[in-house]
Amino acid sequence: MICKTSNPAVRRYLRRLLGTMLLYAASLAVAIVVFVHFRPTGVPAYALAVLPAIALIGVLVVFGLYLAEEKDEFQRLIGVQSMLCGIGGTLAVTTVWGFLESFVHAPHMNPIHDFAIFWVFVGISLPVLQARYK
Amino acid sequence: MKNRLRVLRAEREWSQADLAERLEVSRQSVNAIETGKYDPSLPLAFKLARLFETTIEAIFSDEK
Repeated sequence: MICKTSNPAVRRYLRRLLGTMLLYAASLAVAIVVFVHFRPTGVPAYALAVLPAIALIGVLVVFGLYLAEEKDEFQRLIGVQSMLCGIGGTLAVTTVWGFLESFVHAPHMNPIHDFAIFWVFVGISLPVLQARYK
Repeated sequence: MKNRLRVLRAEREWSQADLAERLEVSRQSVNAIETGKYDPSLPLAFKLARLFETTIEAIFSDEK
């Protein structure tokens, strides 16, 4: 998936991804500013804390829409396989880290990093999978 | 699965990109099918057969 593409599904995916990432950046900035300056409590605090996460979950929805709209079945297969690599890689890393935390007191890893780990595995697996079918 | 895509394509002097455009798929997809690394779905196989005005069996065979 490259930026200069004639594939309408990829173009829509990139447009939506940009929108979702901007929404994430904005919601994160708002959450930080409000928590630092106004120290909200109760329901507003929970709602504000969840706001950036909702934007990030939107990225998954955007990728799901791409898979649903992609007419090229081979590209869909590559997309699904890369998602599976992302899920598998994330589970592997967090499982290993969990045992390290339990037995050798490794520093606690915030689950917020799981999302980044997932996309790192997706990003690594995509070119590997594409090369595999060359 | 073996296929005769390369031969059929050569007979018409089509590049992989030409065939990809006619099938509305990427060139990588055509390459993956042609090299036997990816077996197309039944709808895509029918599309190929229609495009080359032949049968699916004339393009694909299940011999290894």
